[in-house]
Amino acid sequence: MKAWWVRPGVRLLAAFALPLLVPGIITAFIWALPGDPAEIICPPATCGGTAELAARWNLDAGPWNFFTRWVGSALQGEFGRSWRVEQGLPVADLLWESTPITVALVLLALVPIALGAVGAATGLIPERADGAFATVGLVPALVFALLGSAAIVVRFGAGAFGDEANLWRLVIGAAVLGISDGAFASAVSGVRGLFAAERNQRYVSIAVLRGEEPLTNMLPNVAPALAGQLRARVLHLLSGAVVVEVVLGLTGVGDLLWAGTLLQDFGVVLAAATAFAVLSAALLSIQALVEVAVALHVRRAPALTEAA
Amino acid sequence: MPRTAAGAAALVTLVLLLVLAATAPDHLTDARRELAFAGPGDVAPFGADQLGRSLLQYAQQGASVVVGPSLAAAGFVGVLSIAGGLLRCVGDQRVDAVIQVLAEVLGALPRMVVILVSAMLIPSTSRGLLPLALIWALLAAPGAMDEAAAVAERLGGARFVEALRAHGFSWSRVFLYHIVALNLRPVVVRQASEVLLQVTFLELGLSYLAVQDSQSSFTHPDSLKSWADLLYMGYTSIGLDMPTGHALALGLGLVAAVTLMAKLTTSAVRAR
Repeated sequence: MKAWWVRPGVRLLAAFALPLLVPGIITAFIWALPGDPAEIICPPATCGGTAELAARWNLDAGPWNFFTRWVGSALQGEFGRSWRVEQGLPVADLLWESTPITVALVLLALVPIALGAVGAATGLIPERADGAFATVGLVPALVFALLGSAAIVVRFGAGAFGDEANLWRLVIGAAVLGISDGAFASAVSGVRGLFAAERNQRYVSIAVLRGEEPLTNMLPNVAPALAGQLRARVLHLLSGAVVVEVVLGLTGVGDLLWAGTLLQDFGVVLAAATAFAVLSAALLSIQALVEVAVALHVRRAPALTEAA
Repeated sequence: MPRTAAGAAALVTLVLLLVLAATAPDHLTDARRELAFAGPGDVAPFGADQLGRSLLQYAQQGASVVVGPSLAAAGFVGVLSIAGGLLRCVGDQRVDAVIQVLAEVLGALPRMVVILVSAMLIPSTSRGLLPLALIWALLAAPGAMDEAAAVAERLGGARFVEALRAHGFSWSRVFLYHIVALNLRPVVVRQASEVLLQVTFLELGLSYLAVQDSQSSFTHPDSLKSWADLLYMGYTSIGLDMPTGHALALGLGLVAAVTLMAKLTTSAVRAR
């Protein structure tokens, strides 16, 4: 049997490795493709000055040199300058401006998901509602986002980019993310399934016989699995945020990544992808810490009574 | 819905989509401005775009963009999830560990981010939906393999195989019939259907975002129209009161047809 710390340990290792792995894989991919790396990341058909680009981005001295110098700069908060999305602006500034919007969008989108999870765990949401949630969840984020965008235009008309409209965009985007692509439905069914399986354990029956609440007894034992489910949901939201941000005109990291991809702005794409990897690593760390906390909690020896 | 009816409905939808894809023209027909935004009554069966071209061609070209790659991705995930289930039955812990590590690493990456980075790096000569669909399938595969492995484990894994072998069944019968056809089938088909649906939505999403920015899509050449073009055209009927409601209805109808097909397929192969 594996020691309790192996799994959270692997997660923490993965969390440390992920922000390095993403630029590493991208670097390896660029050099694995046939042709000049500078021409691959910005083809001459769309970009001029390939030699200058290669020198500026350290693409002319091999993959290891590129990777180490980029990571070294990134650790100091320096991601180079955008050459097409916002030409000349530091990519770090673009990331700094867009990250709060994505974080706010994802946190707001977690509200319906958290409510669904709590409702499923406590039994407030009846099982017969799952079918209806699953049907609504079949609608892709794009379709709901389009309807949301149309609603903003109809409601605000020419003022569709004012402060109030932007707030509505954020709220509608969060609702779209939280409901579409099965986000809400799978949160409800996932948590329900987890608690249903745990309820069959003997200790829960004994807790009920002792007059205790089953939920409080089950919670520590299902906490690691709940943390895993939550991480999967947030990753799903981060992935969906790209489409929702672009369609609704929210200038978050997803929108930045899309603009960088479309305009072949390698610096922006590399930094935005790494930002997503850092967010994902933070989630992995949280899951690992929950696992460690639960493992320590269940291993804590109870204080011996005098009778014992 | 009975399993047979669900399977038949899914098959009919798939055949219709394949027919649409197979009959897609390479280019849209010439403009006929007098028929601009004509409804289904004037230009059968779905109406016309702003230049009087039939929307049927949009539906056909969109199907040709999406059907092949999404089926390929579904097949890829199906094969890998079968492999995941069978490997659990072999009972090799090292293979299990490798799959779990892969699932951990690949599962930690937001899929859309990987797709966008790949879309940028894939050379323009190789661009299309197929490579992106296969990358999506690769990212979905560890989860599918893990689920199939869990099903195989509930069967008893290696002991289940030994027991059937002791009854005198051949290896091929044990693996292909007892494990894959009788037990892994529901989960494999469900995973494959989900990936098919996700790839369709991925194409719609990527193409819509490109159309919105008046750029070329990563998923198909400019000469082809995606179903996202129908949604984009139709969207103006809501916000700008343009007479394009028929395009929106067709776009949403096609999305609904693929969704229904995926769900009916899952329903048709569900466990007894």
